[in-house]
Amino acid sequence: MFPEARIDIGLRTAHGRVAGVSVASTRIVQAARVFSGRRPEEVTALLPSVFSLCGAAQRAACADAVEAARSQVPSPGQLTLRRVDVLAETVAEHGLAVIRDWAALAGEPADLTPGKSLRVAMAAIRSTPAQAVARASEIMAEVLGAAPGAVLAGAEPFSAWLARGGTPAARLLRGIVDEGLAGFGAGPFIPMPATGPVDLAERMADDVDGRYAAAPDCGGKVYETGPLARHRHHPLVAALMAEHGTGILPRMAARLVDLAAALRELELLVQDLPEEPSPRPSDGAGTGLGLVEAARGLLAHRVELEDGRVKSYRILAPTEWNFHPAGPLAAGLMGAAAGDDLERRARLLVHALDPCVACSVAVE
Amino acid sequence: MCMAVPSKIVAIADGIATVEAFGQTRQCSLMLLADEVAVGDYVILGAGGTFAAEKVPEDAALAALDYLAEVLENGLA
Repeated sequence: MFPEARIDIGLRTAHGRVAGVSVASTRIVQAARVFSGRRPEEVTALLPSVFSLCGAAQRAACADAVEAARSQVPSPGQLTLRRVDVLAETVAEHGLAVIRDWAALAGEPADLTPGKSLRVAMAAIRSTPAQAVARASEIMAEVLGAAPGAVLAGAEPFSAWLARGGTPAARLLRGIVDEGLAGFGAGPFIPMPATGPVDLAERMADDVDGRYAAAPDCGGKVYETGPLARHRHHPLVAALMAEHGTGILPRMAARLVDLAAALRELELLVQDLPEEPSPRPSDGAGTGLGLVEAARGLLAHRVELEDGRVKSYRILAPTEWNFHPAGPLAAGLMGAAAGDDLERRARLLVHALDPCVACSVAVE
Repeated sequence: MCMAVPSKIVAIADGIATVEAFGQTRQCSLMLLADEVAVGDYVILGAGGTFAAEKVPEDAALAALDYLAEVLENGLA
């Protein structure tokens, strides 16, 4: 059997507080090594079949890295198409979380029909782009009970939306506020720089044993990557962070903001979507880095090509930052008040940080 | 990384598929799948393995399974 990747969070309490947080991950961080000896095109074709949540982002990061290694300059059209694929994946991932997981977290039965419709719509992003985006916007407006852009325009409309509680998503977030958990899990905020860690290329190049890929840092700092880091200057997110720090509510709101921003960017991009063949393969040699902001955060690929084949391939995924043993999840849980509902509070924080594998929480 | 294993559908009943990969069978919901599927098709499962996320063409699934077998042989999983 193929082992299932998972993350297990253990919380040790003492004197009424969380005194220790363990993060055990069985995530497979070195599988890219087996790409050695393959042609880059084989790798690009393989990636979407082995990554169910982030296939488009993986494909885009691979294409960027391979082009950089070959010193090829991608056409603006190619870059647009990659961006569109990644945005559609981002909409599907966040949308599905809201539809399926947020309803369950609110203690309500999840109606999966809109989740399926959203996936169907986003799968058609290349064939019928304008209709696909219009349909996705319609579905999310139904799921949220109002157009995402209107709900997230600022603190006031957001509070009014919570107060109305017309949908499971609004009721989940209102419940979080009512229970006093809006700021739960707040900790030091070290957002990922927009261009990635300054030493990324070097650290990935030197990562012979895979330790960096499993637990990355930058000069000892563990960045947070994903929606909160990307949208920390958005008016609503900034207002919620001013009140609740990096707690559950700002994080969950940032995911909605990320979804709405992806939909808005898609609306603009699909107005004039190019039709372009993929660039021609070449036998170039060299080293290249590909960086993509995937739904969950920064995804980095590093490839080294020799005689037209992969000599070395390394991947660093966003979950390794956010669920780092000294990362934002662990920091947010450390010192939290113990109590009967600690496990539930920790689960909410896990969902807000959105790991890409199953994640358990146990209070020891 | 969030590796997914293409799994072959061996039975379908009431929107639930029994799928097989690497000699292990499990059950997953087909509720979120955009494509129609039948016994013999390959799907990849979402995180936690409780639902089928995507249908994968057979040739792509077999190539992915070969690759994943190599990952296992190399002790990387």
